[in-house]
Amino acid sequence: MVRIVIDRDRCTGLGMCEAEAAELFEVQDDGSLAILNDHPSPEQRAEAEAACLACPTEALSLIED
Amino acid sequence: MTTTNDQGAGSYRASGFEGQGTGLTQHSSGNPDRPYDEIDLSTEVFWSGTMDEREESFAVLRRERPITWQPPFEDQLMPVEDDYGYWAITTHRHLVEVTKRPQDFLSGPGIVMDNLPTEFLEAAQSIIAMDPPRHTKLRRLMSAAFTPKQMRRIEDQIKANATKVVDHLIEKAKTAPDGWVDFVAECGALLPMHNFNDMMGVPDGVRQKTSHEMSVMMSWGDDEITGSTREEKFTAIFNALTFMHQLSKETVDERRANPTGDLFTALAQAEVDGEKLTDHEIGSFFVLLTVAGNDTTRQSLAHGLRALTTHPEQRAWLTEDLEGRMQTSVEELVRWATPIMTFRRTAARDCELDGIQIAEGDKLVLFYSSANRDETAIEHAHELDLSRQPNPHISFGGGGIHHCLGNQLARFQIRALFIELLTRCPDIVAGEPELSPGNFFHVVKRMPCKPFAN
Repeated sequence: MVRIVIDRDRCTGLGMCEAEAAELFEVQDDGSLAILNDHPSPEQRAEAEAACLACPTEALSLIED
Repeated sequence: MTTTNDQGAGSYRASGFEGQGTGLTQHSSGNPDRPYDEIDLSTEVFWSGTMDEREESFAVLRRERPITWQPPFEDQLMPVEDDYGYWAITTHRHLVEVTKRPQDFLSGPGIVMDNLPTEFLEAAQSIIAMDPPRHTKLRRLMSAAFTPKQMRRIEDQIKANATKVVDHLIEKAKTAPDGWVDFVAECGALLPMHNFNDMMGVPDGVRQKTSHEMSVMMSWGDDEITGSTREEKFTAIFNALTFMHQLSKETVDERRANPTGDLFTALAQAEVDGEKLTDHEIGSFFVLLTVAGNDTTRQSLAHGLRALTTHPEQRAWLTEDLEGRMQTSVEELVRWATPIMTFRRTAARDCELDGIQIAEGDKLVLFYSSANRDETAIEHAHELDLSRQPNPHISFGGGGIHHCLGNQLARFQIRALFIELLTRCPDIVAGEPELSPGNFFHVVKRMPCKPFAN
């Protein structure tokens, strides 16, 4: 099982993650990132990885739980 | 690193901007003993040609000498004695690496290739010429307005604006004697102007002036627009900036009294580290956003329409399924257009880039046009392929902290425009674009188009 971890000091709310995986990530109106589901399913894994890779500030990572 | 003798803008120092700004600008670079490469990317002639012509030089460099030391740009608006040049970054992989090393390669000292008066730069660049931590805090103020979710909220408005500008283009074509009209003035420039200013909160009637002033300001390399003498250019630049900062201050004062949901209100109310933004900071943000919102997307639209005209087989593929095939097509047209051709960075310390020793204070110039044709990163990079997937183009940046804030807005706009245009004017053709000389934005100044075949 993988878990999405966010470093909030690095997040700038750009939303590349949301563009890659809209069911997992959503930038809120105040610029902060909401992780909608921090345990992506196996079917969502590829999207979650793409989202982590797409983050320009390397604020996101996937860890094995 | 000592700051250079700033030859500034002479009498234009009485511009009202002196003493304000970030104080980070640096003009100097390198040393006089480092030899230049035999291929010269800095001549005025080089930047007065076409992208294809420049690509001939870039292709050689990517293949044989990917990182080279270049002289300062030849036709400097403000020559600087101790600016000895820059490192030219021509490959996709190096552009991405430099982008992702913001602690080594700073934006604060300046992000354009040319030397321009400090007061001008610091009244116009805002967060694009800042580094963390301040960059992070200010950028966050704007992020929510530009996310995919927010774009979906305003998608109906984006589509309505696309309809409006295509209506306008068709009207103009009907009254033109031979059916030819300027796509830029009557369509391409108008769409991003309306969408951006709807978000910003600049009303119709005023937004035309802000767009015009910013396009003039960004055309410092084009004598037709800004005049041929330094004095005329500086006057144009400072008039534009003064107008924008004045409008910003008036609008902010108004929004503090009567807040709305627009970006001006967000800036007026914002607090960073417990302090409101200064008028100068908000004015600079307004300038940056206006330039970024107007002068980039319009280039993708113009270059894009020309590409569709010159590649009929690609266009035919797209029009078989406009809705289904537009997503990859938008990416490919943005790669093809490369609206911003160069950005600059400055080395924060002595460091290494793929074996090349970079000295503290050295400038680097990233060549986006070259990276977007790098065959080691993009297969058949010299071919337009609207079905291309994946498309690792770097028109929105190399994936770093300054990645284009408006990338979703741009994509939504380009998609809406081409679906509307190709549906209502399926026979539209574009003539050859007239380019603006310059080394920053890939500007199409004018481009004739004929919306209807009859």
